[in-house]
Amino acid sequence: MLFVRPARLSDLDALEQMARAARPVLHSLPHDRHALEARIALSEDSFRAEVDFPGEEFYLFVLEDATSGKMLGTSSIVAAAGYAEPFYVFRNDALIHASRELHVNRKIHALTMSHELTGKSRLAGFYLDPAVTGDASAHLLSRARMMYVAANRRRFTPEVFSLLLGVTDEAGTSPFWEAVGRKFFARDFAEVEKISGGRSRTFIAEVMPSYPLYVPLLPEAAQRVLGEPNAKSLLAYDIHLEEGFEPDRFVDIFDAGPVLTAQVDRSACVVSNETRIVRERTEAASDADPSSATAATTYLVANNRAGEFRCALAELPLAREEQAPLTSSVRAVLGAVAGDAVRCVPLHRASEDEAATAESQADLDGETAALRATHPGVRR
Amino acid sequence: MIVVRAVKTTDLDAVVALAQETGPGLTTFKPDPDALAARIARSKRTMEGQAAPHEAGYFFVMEDTATNDVAGVCGIETQVGLEQPFYNYRVSTVVHASQELGVWTRMSLLNISHDLTGYAEVCSLFLSPRYRAHGVGGLLSRSRFMFIAQFRDRFPERLCAELRGHFDADGTSPFWRAVGSHFYQIDFNAADYLSAHGRKSFLAELMPRYPVYADLLPEDARQVIGLTHRDTAPARKMLEAEGLRYQGHVDIFDAGPVLECHIDDLRTVRESVVVPVVIGEVDSVDPLASGAGPAQAPRERAPRSLVANTRLADFRVGFAPGGVEDGVMHLSADDAAALLVREGDPVRVLVTSHTQQSQKS
Repeated sequence: MLFVRPARLSDLDALEQMARAARPVLHSLPHDRHALEARIALSEDSFRAEVDFPGEEFYLFVLEDATSGKMLGTSSIVAAAGYAEPFYVFRNDALIHASRELHVNRKIHALTMSHELTGKSRLAGFYLDPAVTGDASAHLLSRARMMYVAANRRRFTPEVFSLLLGVTDEAGTSPFWEAVGRKFFARDFAEVEKISGGRSRTFIAEVMPSYPLYVPLLPEAAQRVLGEPNAKSLLAYDIHLEEGFEPDRFVDIFDAGPVLTAQVDRSACVVSNETRIVRERTEAASDADPSSATAATTYLVANNRAGEFRCALAELPLAREEQAPLTSSVRAVLGAVAGDAVRCVPLHRASEDEAATAESQADLDGETAALRATHPGVRR
Repeated sequence: MIVVRAVKTTDLDAVVALAQETGPGLTTFKPDPDALAARIARSKRTMEGQAAPHEAGYFFVMEDTATNDVAGVCGIETQVGLEQPFYNYRVSTVVHASQELGVWTRMSLLNISHDLTGYAEVCSLFLSPRYRAHGVGGLLSRSRFMFIAQFRDRFPERLCAELRGHFDADGTSPFWRAVGSHFYQIDFNAADYLSAHGRKSFLAELMPRYPVYADLLPEDARQVIGLTHRDTAPARKMLEAEGLRYQGHVDIFDAGPVLECHIDDLRTVRESVVVPVVIGEVDSVDPLASGAGPAQAPRERAPRSLVANTRLADFRVGFAPGGVEDGVMHLSADDAAALLVREGDPVRVLVTSHTQQSQKS
């Protein structure tokens, strides 16, 4: 049984290992043990603090296996990205170039350095142990953050965003960097990525383009990867779409990876939230009768009892009036007892759930593929 | 004698016929009788002082006076961009530097500019392929500088010349492929034709509104910025010998260079002189006959000169053997007749060495 909870100082060893294992580096998780310790302390303070509006808080989560007590992953939220310095992204603008006389009309995309996301809450620092199998764990670790955001609106901005790794080849070379960043920096991507630490350093203003870049004028290879997630980030990309994030408005300034944005009001964790009351359910019942009369599906279930946030996956009946019958192991990881109100959000959207059979996963894949296909091509 | 002279209304048929020799591709000189008649009329109005500043422009034809064959045209616009904007890219430099990172990079930026507004422009040069072996391309091109030198007051401070940019072997422009084609959405010739015929509003509607980072363009496009078409290289050499220089302005379609200079710095303006004509026998065969000392290498050709009359509407210029001697220019009776000058008339003379002549253009 996996669950997500806030990181503690006692997780330092495990987090240090994860920080070192993460490729590419996680800017939110420093390799230096003391710096990392300070980050965890900041996170502990942030979770405890009374917050009326987002500031310097940093929320660090870990994915724990309740059975073994092992840490299997981490994710985080930066309450206000670029709190002290501007946070840079490329805004993907569409410019209309039309001439009535010539009967031509074309949408031309241009990338403009933008500070627009400065101060917005940012999902960051996602790392999942490669040994963990199954997409559900990745969903849990990623979306637990939005479960926390949904339950703690004051702590975050109404719009949140997330930056995913862009496309690189086997050697770690980014075609977009080669076509753009290298011309300005005259350095390797990896080198600048290491020193830049999070898209909000002053040198970005000094070195990166001050005028918009016309997308059709960039080399084909660079255009092709615009807003495209790295193969390693495909699942994360799909998870964000499922949560209600939108691609295409912004891309990363270095590798053109997707920068997804979501209005918290319209995210799945808010829109599809069902607050249910915990009921006791025996393990035997679930094992014995998987296809019980009432159809069930996987939910993200979050509890905030006594200020300790917890999130896990559980099978819940589709019918809301059945409330939240949870087995003892789930109740244990959530720190929930019968009678508690918990936030329940279907892991996948209702439209897929109606299919409700083995094909549902296939439909889901089909839909996300379709979403990506319609994702208006930054490149056109 | 082959002369370049101011165009006359009666030249229309000959000019239209000449335009038929251009074949496809050259979009600025098409066998369109109406357009050419308008061009001739505009030149006439300009000569007569009847043209508004924005439309003032001169048009010349090259004629073999022996056969009355019209074999070339060229023109001067007095001040470009006063009606329709005159667009170019200015290639400017931006430096991106960070002391923190130890980064210093110099980049080129293409900015849409109207910098050349109000410049005179030498333009519209076309020489019949039948005459390209005769070394008369130089005469056709330089005739305009003789005219400008003679009528300096009719022209502004500066002058420019747009040269065709580099095209690949398949006849396409790498710069157009990389930049223009994305914005203008019509083919190069169509865009060039509209622009050359004063229908430039589509440019404002479609052209890039922000500066373009040249360094981010594909290699082949970057390479040709300011590069001259292979066929235009001799013309460029000649203009450069005249004192024009590439100063970072290029064409918005093919990135061909614009050469520019102060008119007062033109070689022809600085070095040509006005002297009276003496008509008589002129020995053009023996190089030693023109007073050259024994040190002169025998294979060096006799000097010859660009000689122009000083009349406006009847302006004529051609090459004649010899140069200014004792304050006069000796012309044969035939050449004097071809240039419409009589004994004692003033002529403008620019001594050129024969070997400098470009063989084509």
